[in-house]
Amino acid sequence: MSLIKQVILNADEELRYPTPGELRMIQTFCQSGAERIQLVKQLEAKAPTIVEKGTRQFWKICPRTPSNSGNRIKTASAKRDVGWYIRLISYCLLAGNDRPLQEIGLTGMKDLYANVGIPLTNILQYMRCLKAEAIKQLDAATAEEVIPYFDQIIQYIALPGPPYFINDGVGESIPVV
Amino acid sequence: MQDAITTLINTSDTQGKYLDESSLNNLQDYFRSGELRARAAMTISANASTIVTRTTAKSLLYTDITAPGGNMYTCRRYAACVRDMDYFLRYATYAMLAGDPSILDERVLNGLRETYNSLGVPVGATVRAVQAMKEVTTEMLGADAGKEMGLYFDHICTGLS
Repeated sequence: MSLIKQVILNADEELRYPTPGELRMIQTFCQSGAERIQLVKQLEAKAPTIVEKGTRQFWKICPRTPSNSGNRIKTASAKRDVGWYIRLISYCLLAGNDRPLQEIGLTGMKDLYANVGIPLTNILQYMRCLKAEAIKQLDAATAEEVIPYFDQIIQYIALPGPPYFINDGVGESIPVV
Repeated sequence: MQDAITTLINTSDTQGKYLDESSLNNLQDYFRSGELRARAAMTISANASTIVTRTTAKSLLYTDITAPGGNMYTCRRYAACVRDMDYFLRYATYAMLAGDPSILDERVLNGLRETYNSLGVPVGATVRAVQAMKEVTTEMLGADAGKEMGLYFDHICTGLS
Protein backbone atom coordinates (compact mmCIF):
# COMPACT_ATOMS: atom_id res chain seq x y z
CA MET A 1 0.00 0.00 0.00
CA SER A 2 1.50 3.30 -1.09
CA LEU A 3 0.99 6.76 0.27
CA ILE A 4 -1.37 7.49 -2.64
CA LYS A 5 -3.50 4.47 -1.87
CA GLN A 6 -3.62 5.41 1.78
CA VAL A 7 -4.90 8.90 0.94
CA ILE A 8 -7.57 7.48 -1.37
CA LEU A 9 -8.79 4.89 1.11
CA ASN A 10 -9.00 7.48 3.88
CA ALA A 11 -10.97 9.82 1.63
CA ASP A 12 -13.35 7.11 0.49
CA GLU A 13 -13.98 6.05 4.05
CA GLU A 14 -15.53 9.49 4.58
CA LEU A 15 -17.10 9.81 1.10
CA ARG A 16 -15.07 12.90 0.37
CA TYR A 17 -12.41 14.15 -2.00
CA PRO A 18 -8.80 14.20 -0.80
CA THR A 19 -8.21 17.44 1.09
CA PRO A 20 -5.87 20.12 -0.30
CA GLY A 21 -3.35 19.10 2.36
CA GLU A 22 -3.42 15.49 1.27
CA LEU A 23 -3.09 16.50 -2.37
CA ARG A 24 -0.13 18.68 -1.54
CA MET A 25 1.44 15.70 0.21
CA ILE A 26 1.00 13.67 -2.99
CA GLN A 27 2.52 16.50 -4.99
CA THR A 28 5.64 16.73 -2.83
CA PHE A 29 5.91 12.97 -2.82
CA CYS A 30 5.85 12.85 -6.63
CA GLN A 31 8.29 15.71 -6.95
CA SER A 32 10.86 13.80 -4.93
CA GLY A 33 10.22 10.68 -7.05
CA ALA A 34 13.35 10.90 -9.17
CA GLU A 35 15.56 11.33 -6.11
CA ARG A 36 13.97 8.39 -4.37
CA ILE A 37 14.52 6.19 -7.39
CA GLN A 38 18.21 7.10 -7.15
CA LEU A 39 18.23 6.20 -3.44
CA VAL A 40 16.72 2.82 -4.29
CA LYS A 41 19.34 2.15 -6.93
CA GLN A 42 22.10 2.96 -4.46
CA LEU A 43 20.55 0.78 -1.79
CA GLU A 44 20.19 -2.10 -4.23
CA ALA A 45 23.83 -1.78 -5.29
CA LYS A 46 25.07 -1.79 -1.69
CA ALA A 47 22.70 -4.45 -0.39
CA PRO A 48 25.02 -7.46 -0.93
CA THR A 49 27.90 -5.69 0.85
CA ILE A 50 25.67 -4.64 3.72
CA VAL A 51 24.44 -8.21 4.12
CA GLU A 52 27.92 -9.72 3.82
CA LYS A 53 29.71 -7.42 6.23
CA GLY A 54 26.73 -7.12 8.57
CA THR A 55 26.57 -10.90 8.84
CA ARG A 56 30.25 -11.14 9.75
CA GLN A 57 29.80 -8.49 12.40
CA PHE A 58 26.75 -10.32 13.74
CA TRP A 59 28.72 -13.56 14.07
CA LYS A 60 31.37 -11.76 16.09
CA ILE A 61 28.76 -10.52 18.57
CA CYS A 62 26.66 -13.62 18.52
CA PRO A 63 28.68 -16.66 17.43
CA ARG A 64 26.24 -19.31 18.62
CA THR A 65 23.44 -18.88 16.11
CA PRO A 66 21.94 -21.17 13.45
CA SER A 67 23.43 -19.16 10.57
CA ASN A 68 26.94 -19.66 12.05
CA SER A 69 26.46 -23.34 12.84
CA GLY A 70 28.32 -24.48 9.76
CA ASN A 71 25.12 -25.55 8.07
CA ARG A 72 25.34 -23.92 4.64
CA ILE A 73 21.61 -23.94 4.03
CA LYS A 74 21.02 -22.07 7.28
CA THR A 75 23.68 -19.49 6.47
CA ALA A 76 22.25 -18.98 3.01
CA SER A 77 18.68 -18.63 4.28
CA ALA A 78 19.71 -16.13 6.93
CA LYS A 79 21.50 -13.95 4.39
CA ARG A 80 18.61 -14.29 1.98
CA ASP A 81 16.09 -13.28 4.64
CA VAL A 82 17.91 -10.14 5.72
CA GLY A 83 18.52 -9.31 2.06
CA TRP A 84 14.77 -9.45 1.65
CA TYR A 85 14.29 -6.97 4.43
CA ILE A 86 16.56 -4.55 2.61
CA ARG A 87 14.51 -5.13 -0.53
CA LEU A 88 11.33 -4.34 1.39
CA ILE A 89 12.94 -1.12 2.58
CA SER A 90 13.57 -0.23 -1.06
CA TYR A 91 9.84 -0.74 -1.71
CA CYS A 92 9.05 1.58 1.18
CA LEU A 93 11.25 4.29 -0.28
CA LEU A 94 9.22 4.07 -3.49
CA ALA A 95 5.83 3.79 -1.83
CA GLY A 96 6.49 6.71 0.50
CA ASN A 97 5.40 4.89 3.65
CA ASP A 98 6.14 1.83 5.75
CA ARG A 99 3.22 -0.25 4.57
CA PRO A 100 5.12 -2.59 2.21
CA LEU A 101 7.55 -3.46 5.01
CA GLN A 102 4.71 -3.83 7.46
CA GLU A 103 2.47 -5.93 5.22
CA ILE A 104 5.08 -8.15 3.60
CA GLY A 105 7.77 -8.40 6.22
CA LEU A 106 6.66 -7.61 9.75
CA THR A 107 3.16 -9.00 10.16
CA GLY A 108 3.67 -12.50 11.49
CA MET A 109 7.45 -12.17 11.61
CA LYS A 110 7.77 -13.12 15.26
CA ASP A 111 5.56 -16.17 14.83
CA LEU A 112 7.59 -17.23 11.82
CA TYR A 113 10.90 -17.11 13.66
CA ALA A 114 9.38 -18.78 16.71
CA ASN A 115 8.23 -21.53 14.38
CA VAL A 116 11.58 -22.06 12.66
CA GLY A 117 13.29 -21.95 16.03
CA ILE A 118 15.52 -18.92 15.68
CA PRO A 119 15.76 -16.81 18.84
CA LEU A 120 14.34 -13.33 18.31
CA THR A 121 17.21 -11.77 20.25
CA ASN A 122 19.59 -13.07 17.58
CA ILE A 123 17.48 -11.54 14.82
CA LEU A 124 17.48 -8.32 16.81
CA GLN A 125 21.30 -8.32 17.02
CA TYR A 126 21.51 -9.19 13.35
CA MET A 127 19.28 -6.25 12.38
CA ARG A 128 21.32 -3.90 14.56
CA CYS A 129 24.51 -5.02 12.84
CA LEU A 130 22.93 -4.50 9.44
CA LYS A 131 21.77 -1.06 10.46
CA ALA A 132 25.31 -0.13 11.57
CA GLU A 133 26.73 -1.50 8.35
CA ALA A 134 24.15 0.38 6.27
CA ILE A 135 25.16 3.63 7.94
CA LYS A 136 28.76 2.91 6.96
CA GLN A 137 28.03 1.87 3.39
CA LEU A 138 25.43 4.42 2.29
CA ASP A 139 26.02 8.12 1.83
CA ALA A 140 24.43 10.46 4.34
CA ALA A 141 21.37 11.40 2.26
CA THR A 142 20.47 7.79 1.50
CA ALA A 143 21.11 6.67 5.06
CA GLU A 144 18.78 9.36 6.33
CA GLU A 145 15.93 7.82 4.34
CA VAL A 146 16.83 4.19 4.89
CA ILE A 147 17.73 4.01 8.59
CA PRO A 148 14.26 4.82 9.98
CA TYR A 149 12.99 1.63 8.34
CA PHE A 150 15.76 -0.40 9.97
CA ASP A 151 14.73 1.22 13.23
CA GLN A 152 11.18 0.19 12.58
CA ILE A 153 12.18 -3.45 12.14
CA ILE A 154 14.29 -3.28 15.30
CA GLN A 155 11.50 -1.65 17.29
CA TYR A 156 9.03 -4.21 16.04
CA ILE A 157 11.21 -7.08 17.25
CA ALA A 158 12.28 -5.42 20.49
CA LEU A 159 8.90 -4.19 21.70
CA PRO A 160 6.20 -6.51 22.97
CA GLY A 161 3.70 -5.54 20.25
CA PRO A 162 0.05 -4.55 20.12
CA PRO A 163 -1.60 -6.75 22.78
CA TYR A 164 0.55 -5.04 25.38
CA PHE A 165 -0.79 -1.63 24.43
CA ILE A 166 -4.37 -2.40 23.54
CA ASN A 167 -6.92 -1.01 25.94
CA ASP A 168 -9.46 -3.80 25.94
CA GLY A 169 -11.92 -2.45 28.42
CA VAL A 170 -12.09 -2.46 32.17
CA GLY A 171 -8.81 -3.63 33.66
CA GLU A 172 -8.01 -5.13 37.00
CA SER A 173 -6.99 -1.75 38.36
CA ILE A 174 -10.64 -0.78 38.59
CA PRO A 175 -12.13 -2.27 41.72
CA VAL A 176 -14.99 -4.64 41.10
CA VAL A 177 -18.05 -3.53 43.00
CA MET B 1 -7.57 -1.66 -4.82
CA GLN B 2 -4.27 -1.08 -6.59
CA ASP B 3 -2.40 2.00 -7.63
CA ALA B 4 0.48 2.50 -10.04
CA ILE B 5 3.08 2.11 -7.28
CA THR B 6 1.51 -0.76 -5.36
CA THR B 7 1.01 -2.77 -8.56
CA LEU B 8 4.69 -2.52 -9.48
CA ILE B 9 5.81 -3.35 -5.94
CA ASN B 10 3.54 -6.39 -5.74
CA THR B 11 4.74 -7.71 -9.09
CA SER B 12 8.38 -7.39 -8.05
CA ASP B 13 7.70 -8.85 -4.63
CA THR B 14 6.13 -12.02 -5.96
CA GLN B 15 9.39 -12.57 -7.86
CA GLY B 16 11.45 -11.57 -4.83
CA LYS B 17 13.27 -8.94 -6.85
CA TYR B 18 14.07 -5.28 -6.70
CA LEU B 19 12.16 -3.13 -9.17
CA ASP B 20 13.79 -3.56 -12.56
CA GLU B 21 14.69 -0.80 -14.96
CA SER B 22 11.39 -0.80 -16.85
CA SER B 23 9.30 -0.74 -13.66
CA LEU B 24 11.39 2.14 -12.37
CA ASN B 25 10.79 3.97 -15.64
CA ASN B 26 7.05 3.45 -15.31
CA LEU B 27 7.27 4.72 -11.78
CA GLN B 28 9.24 7.73 -12.92
CA ASP B 29 6.52 8.55 -15.47
CA TYR B 30 3.90 8.30 -12.78
CA PHE B 31 5.87 10.56 -10.44
CA ARG B 32 6.29 13.07 -13.24
CA SER B 33 2.54 13.17 -13.83
CA GLY B 34 1.90 13.53 -10.09
CA GLU B 35 1.79 17.31 -10.22
CA LEU B 36 -0.81 17.20 -12.98
CA ARG B 37 -2.90 14.59 -11.18
CA ALA B 38 -2.90 16.41 -7.88
CA ARG B 39 -3.81 19.69 -9.52
CA ALA B 40 -6.62 18.06 -11.49
CA ALA B 41 -7.98 16.47 -8.32
CA MET B 42 -7.86 19.84 -6.62
CA THR B 43 -9.91 21.47 -9.41
CA ILE B 44 -12.43 18.66 -9.52
CA SER B 45 -12.99 18.63 -5.78
CA ALA B 46 -13.51 22.39 -5.82
CA ASN B 47 -16.01 22.17 -8.68
CA ALA B 48 -17.62 18.79 -8.13
CA SER B 49 -21.19 20.00 -7.86
CA THR B 50 -20.78 22.32 -10.84
CA ILE B 51 -19.50 19.44 -12.93
CA VAL B 52 -22.45 17.28 -11.94
CA THR B 53 -24.94 20.08 -12.64
CA ARG B 54 -23.48 20.79 -16.06
CA THR B 55 -23.39 17.09 -16.87
CA THR B 56 -27.04 16.60 -16.02
CA ALA B 57 -27.98 19.72 -17.96
CA LYS B 58 -26.03 18.54 -20.95
CA SER B 59 -27.15 14.94 -21.16
CA LEU B 60 -30.28 14.20 -19.14
CA LEU B 61 -32.30 17.21 -18.14
CA TYR B 62 -34.03 17.92 -21.42
CA THR B 63 -34.70 14.37 -22.52
CA ASP B 64 -37.65 12.06 -22.01
CA ILE B 65 -36.01 10.53 -18.99
CA THR B 66 -37.03 13.43 -16.73
CA ALA B 67 -40.60 13.50 -18.07
CA PRO B 68 -43.41 11.59 -16.33
CA GLY B 69 -42.80 7.88 -16.92
CA GLY B 70 -39.06 8.37 -17.33
CA ASN B 71 -36.62 6.91 -14.85
CA MET B 72 -35.55 10.31 -13.51
CA TYR B 73 -39.12 11.47 -12.95
CA THR B 74 -39.97 12.17 -9.32
CA CYS B 75 -37.53 14.15 -7.23
CA ARG B 76 -36.45 11.07 -5.38
CA ARG B 77 -35.19 9.33 -8.51
CA TYR B 78 -33.67 12.55 -9.80
CA ALA B 79 -31.75 12.93 -6.55
CA ALA B 80 -30.59 9.32 -6.71
CA CYS B 81 -29.30 9.92 -10.22
CA VAL B 82 -27.41 13.03 -9.16
CA ARG B 83 -25.92 11.13 -6.25
CA ASP B 84 -24.71 8.39 -8.58
CA MET B 85 -23.12 10.97 -10.88
CA ASP B 86 -21.38 12.38 -7.86
CA TYR B 87 -20.05 8.92 -7.05
CA PHE B 88 -18.83 8.34 -10.59
CA LEU B 89 -16.94 11.61 -10.53
CA ARG B 90 -15.40 10.98 -7.13
CA TYR B 91 -14.29 7.44 -7.90
CA ALA B 92 -12.96 8.44 -11.31
CA THR B 93 -10.92 11.09 -9.50
CA TYR B 94 -9.55 8.49 -7.08
CA ALA B 95 -8.64 6.23 -9.99
CA MET B 96 -6.97 9.12 -11.79
CA LEU B 97 -4.92 9.94 -8.69
CA ALA B 98 -3.93 6.31 -8.31
CA GLY B 99 -3.19 5.91 -12.01
CA ASP B 100 -5.08 2.64 -11.91
CA PRO B 101 -8.76 1.76 -12.60
CA SER B 102 -9.03 -1.12 -10.13
CA ILE B 103 -10.82 0.96 -7.49
CA LEU B 104 -13.62 1.52 -10.03
CA ASP B 105 -14.00 -2.21 -10.56
CA GLU B 106 -14.03 -2.96 -6.88
CA ARG B 107 -16.12 -0.18 -5.47
CA VAL B 108 -18.33 1.09 -8.30
CA LEU B 109 -18.76 -1.35 -11.14
CA ASN B 110 -18.97 -4.56 -9.15
CA GLY B 111 -22.65 -5.53 -9.51
CA LEU B 112 -23.67 -2.08 -10.73
CA ARG B 113 -25.16 -3.21 -14.02
CA GLU B 114 -27.26 -5.84 -12.26
CA THR B 115 -28.42 -3.26 -9.72
CA TYR B 116 -29.37 -0.81 -12.45
CA ASN B 117 -31.19 -3.49 -14.40
CA SER B 118 -33.20 -4.56 -11.41
CA LEU B 119 -34.09 -0.95 -10.60
CA GLY B 120 -34.96 -0.26 -14.24
CA VAL B 121 -32.28 2.41 -14.61
CA PRO B 122 -31.49 2.73 -18.34
CA VAL B 123 -27.82 1.88 -18.84
CA GLY B 124 -27.70 3.68 -22.19
CA ALA B 125 -28.65 7.00 -20.63
CA THR B 126 -26.14 6.47 -17.82
CA VAL B 127 -23.36 5.86 -20.33
CA ARG B 128 -24.39 8.99 -22.22
CA ALA B 129 -24.25 10.98 -19.00
CA VAL B 130 -20.79 9.65 -18.10
CA GLN B 131 -19.59 10.60 -21.57
CA ALA B 132 -21.03 14.08 -21.06
CA MET B 133 -19.21 14.25 -17.73
CA LYS B 134 -16.02 13.41 -19.55
CA GLU B 135 -16.56 16.36 -21.88
CA VAL B 136 -17.43 18.72 -19.04
CA THR B 137 -14.33 17.80 -17.01
CA THR B 138 -12.09 18.05 -20.07
CA GLU B 139 -13.41 21.55 -20.69
CA MET B 140 -12.65 22.44 -17.12
CA LEU B 141 -9.24 20.75 -16.70
CA GLY B 142 -7.71 21.22 -20.13
CA ALA B 143 -6.59 18.60 -22.60
CA ASP B 144 -3.87 16.74 -20.65
CA ALA B 145 -5.67 16.15 -17.37
CA GLY B 146 -8.94 15.76 -19.29
CA LYS B 147 -7.48 12.92 -21.30
CA GLU B 148 -6.32 11.16 -18.14
CA MET B 149 -9.74 11.51 -16.52
CA GLY B 150 -11.31 10.35 -19.79
CA LEU B 151 -9.60 6.98 -19.42
CA TYR B 152 -11.46 6.31 -16.20
CA PHE B 153 -14.82 7.62 -17.40
CA ASP B 154 -14.45 5.31 -20.39
CA HIS B 155 -13.64 2.50 -17.98
CA ILE B 156 -16.95 3.13 -16.20
CA CYS B 157 -18.80 3.07 -19.52
CA THR B 158 -17.15 -0.18 -20.62
CA GLY B 159 -17.94 -1.72 -17.26
CA LEU B 160 -21.59 -0.71 -17.50
CA SER B 161 -22.36 -1.83 -21.03
